[in-house]
Amino acid sequence: MTGQLIVSGLAVGSVYALIALAMVIIYKTSEVLNFAQGEMAMLSAFAAYSMLDTYRLPFWASFALALIFAAALGMFLEFCFLRRAKNPNLLGLILITLGFEMILYGLAGWKWGADQKNFSFPVSDTDVIEVSGMIISYLNIWTMGVALAAMLSLWIFFKYTKVGLSMKATQQNHQAARLMGIRTKRILNLTWAISSVVGALAAMFLAPVVTLDPNLMTDPMLKGFASAVLGGMTSLLGAALGGYLLGVIENLFGGLVSLEFKSVVAFLIIVLILCFRPSGLLTRHYVKKV
Amino acid sequence: MPFLEVEDLSIVFGGLLALHEVNLSVARGTIYSIIGPNGAGKTTLFNCISGIYRPNKGSISFKTRDITGLKPHLTAGRGIARTFQNIELFSHMTTMDNLMLGRHLKMKTGFLSGMALWGRRSKVAREEITNRAKVEEIIDFLDLQSARDQLVGGLPYGRQKIVELGRALAMEPELLLLDEPSAGMNSEEKQDLMIRLKDIQEDLGVTILVIEHDMKLVMDISERILALNYGQVIAEGPPEEVQNHPEVLRAYLGRDEADAGD
Amino acid sequence: MDMKRDYYEDIQLLPSGVIKFWFLVLLAALAGLPFCVGNYYSYMFNYMAVNVLVAIGLNILVGYTGQVSLGHAGFFAIGAYGTTLLMTKAGLPFILALPLSGLIAAAFGFVLGLPALRLEGPYLAIATLGFGLTVTQLLGRLKFFGGHMGLQAPELILFGSLLKTDRHLYYLVMTITVIMTIGARNLIKTRVGRAFIAIRDSDVAAETIGINLTLYKTLAFAISAGYTGIAGGLMVFLVGFINPNSFNLMLSITFLAMVVVGGVGSILGSIMGGVFMSFLNLKLSAIQDLPYLGGLLMTMSEKWFSVSGLPNVANIVFGLILVLIVVFEPSGLYGFWIRAKTYWKTWPF
Repeated sequence: MTGQLIVSGLAVGSVYALIALAMVIIYKTSEVLNFAQGEMAMLSAFAAYSMLDTYRLPFWASFALALIFAAALGMFLEFCFLRRAKNPNLLGLILITLGFEMILYGLAGWKWGADQKNFSFPVSDTDVIEVSGMIISYLNIWTMGVALAAMLSLWIFFKYTKVGLSMKATQQNHQAARLMGIRTKRILNLTWAISSVVGALAAMFLAPVVTLDPNLMTDPMLKGFASAVLGGMTSLLGAALGGYLLGVIENLFGGLVSLEFKSVVAFLIIVLILCFRPSGLLTRHYVKKV
Repeated sequence: MPFLEVEDLSIVFGGLLALHEVNLSVARGTIYSIIGPNGAGKTTLFNCISGIYRPNKGSISFKTRDITGLKPHLTAGRGIARTFQNIELFSHMTTMDNLMLGRHLKMKTGFLSGMALWGRRSKVAREEITNRAKVEEIIDFLDLQSARDQLVGGLPYGRQKIVELGRALAMEPELLLLDEPSAGMNSEEKQDLMIRLKDIQEDLGVTILVIEHDMKLVMDISERILALNYGQVIAEGPPEEVQNHPEVLRAYLGRDEADAGD
Repeated sequence: MDMKRDYYEDIQLLPSGVIKFWFLVLLAALAGLPFCVGNYYSYMFNYMAVNVLVAIGLNILVGYTGQVSLGHAGFFAIGAYGTTLLMTKAGLPFILALPLSGLIAAAFGFVLGLPALRLEGPYLAIATLGFGLTVTQLLGRLKFFGGHMGLQAPELILFGSLLKTDRHLYYLVMTITVIMTIGARNLIKTRVGRAFIAIRDSDVAAETIGINLTLYKTLAFAISAGYTGIAGGLMVFLVGFINPNSFNLMLSITFLAMVVVGGVGSILGSIMGGVFMSFLNLKLSAIQDLPYLGGLLMTMSEKWFSVSGLPNVANIVFGLILVLIVVFEPSGLYGFWIRAKTYWKTWPF
């Protein structure tokens, strides 16, 4: 029983991990908490649905096109709005991304209506395999696999590619990076694209489990934030681990304690972490100098 | 009886010893200056006294009562007011409101009675009016009339420094901590400041602890001086003594020049 | 220059005879309004008044104290459910149930404010977001709160008479709104309000002049939540029916939009923002009936979008307004008003 809960927790956790990664990638480079992350991903999933359902494209083509759509959407939002704000304060930045969220939510609602859609995914949610008494669906295996692959590519990207390294440099010090000849604005734009793609992956693997509607990502977004907070908001590794941890904790709580209050877990974790270990489980805490 | 007594005060930031076993004792009614190069730990010392930092070691007592590690709003309640090196004013409020905020602890209005402001004769209104009168006195004392209804964010730097001093005075403190009060002032303004500090000391009976870079000002007003360097006390005593202390000369002029001067 | 000033003038609500006169005119106009217009307009004014209350409450927290909240739909829901349940399950009369549910919301605000002490901007946003979403989730899951089906508003009996129509409700809602608006204005002008603004402008300095950050930040949260809770309690009777889905994240963002559109840190701005956004919301909820635009949107919906999803256009408009205001006019309608006033006064110079 417990083993089963942990395994399915890890499957859900990999989706949370992807969302958290998407958030942390943006937060690290630009200190913007992207509250539109969920809706950006939701819209990308709808884009995939549209290509599958309306234009009858093969699944893999729709999937790839949706990822391109996600990248373009991220770049568009950053370029058209965020960059236009004249030295906005923290509240201003939060409000801008909240504005995005409403716009994207409204767009999805207008285009696809309030009724739920079935996202025809080629991997089944109901076909399962059994490993030593634990049941895992094929979809879960795929989700975990793709999430791991995405994390691995991100790791290689940030560690070994030139663009990835300049992104890291920009994260650490905008001014210095610019002096070194890095075009920080372009890097920032690219950050939004990458983050949006990672988020879109999460949404597309989530959509077949629940049903596709504009509210798809409202709850997962909170889970993403909780995971990111668990990992300390600025650590990619932390965000990923936070996602898995949250998935497992939540599942164990739902299975062993109370299903009704399962939704409180994420909020409780946020509050507890922020109160007792605000820098997350992984990163070290420094005394702030006034 | 010592008024303010700091004993063996040490504080560490990420492995860096910002203050190391600092001792000082300030007598009531005096002006006591702290000098030292940038990064010597002067402001850190202020932050420890006013409670923004909690020291790792040592103790601070004020009027014979221990105030080590007391939160800033509690040290304020004990009668310690301060200004900041980089001006911490409430920039979207008027000078008047900034000074009224200095009266915070002298007033009692809670949120419910504040909401129900029933008219001129209500307790809230009477309290506002008496405290306003007090603030007007300070405005007159510091010649801030022209800035009274202006937003402080728009005032020139030197004026902002004076408003900050006014806010501290509005608290009617017994001990005033001033962090570089003359920074950004021209020589005329410095002259005025000196006279005001003397007035505050003599007429209001406030003890003043001041961090200052202008040596002329320091020499003219202080009863005693403490020199800090790298978080350690290098000299302490009356102005003439500290001024000619070899360690102080070395810290300020650099080793070679000091040696050459000997 | 007149050296002797009357210090009371600066905090007085109505400092001069002229202002006193116009204030009385405004009150008279508010009192006479329902007789001049139909029932629908009474509903509209009620709706506006309730939103003004929320905007003022949220502005005390966001605009004056400088703390962000993405969870005010949660407090609104607590007020709404609290009033309903206190009346139906505990059998309390409305006149007790409403302030009590305001107090309950305030208590929740106080508790949520506690972690706020240790949290800076972005983290506080996440924590309050979590609070708002969790309240909605719990209301939907637990049977006690009527689950996803929601609850029916009880009959509203005040001093022995049954308030049925929107016109009946109007006087109740308006009286509460006017009193609470004046209360907020007085609060901001006196000691506690000044302390809130001090925390916003510089919390280090606020602490060193003796302001207890713990107490005042949580107090700001509690007062803000209390205002929102009372607004929620009134809203029940306007709409006649509540269910958890209506207290979603979009509502929290709409509340924030009211504050920002009206003007951060201004009571008058909150009134303008609340009225403007409510008006917009009502107009947009029947968007197909708008002249010219309605037809155009209808054709667009049929061609490219979906007709059933048309009400979602309201979200797009709100989101756009929010983004554009932050980017181009951060001081909101209030800033607009101030500039128009100076322009008028100095015209033609």
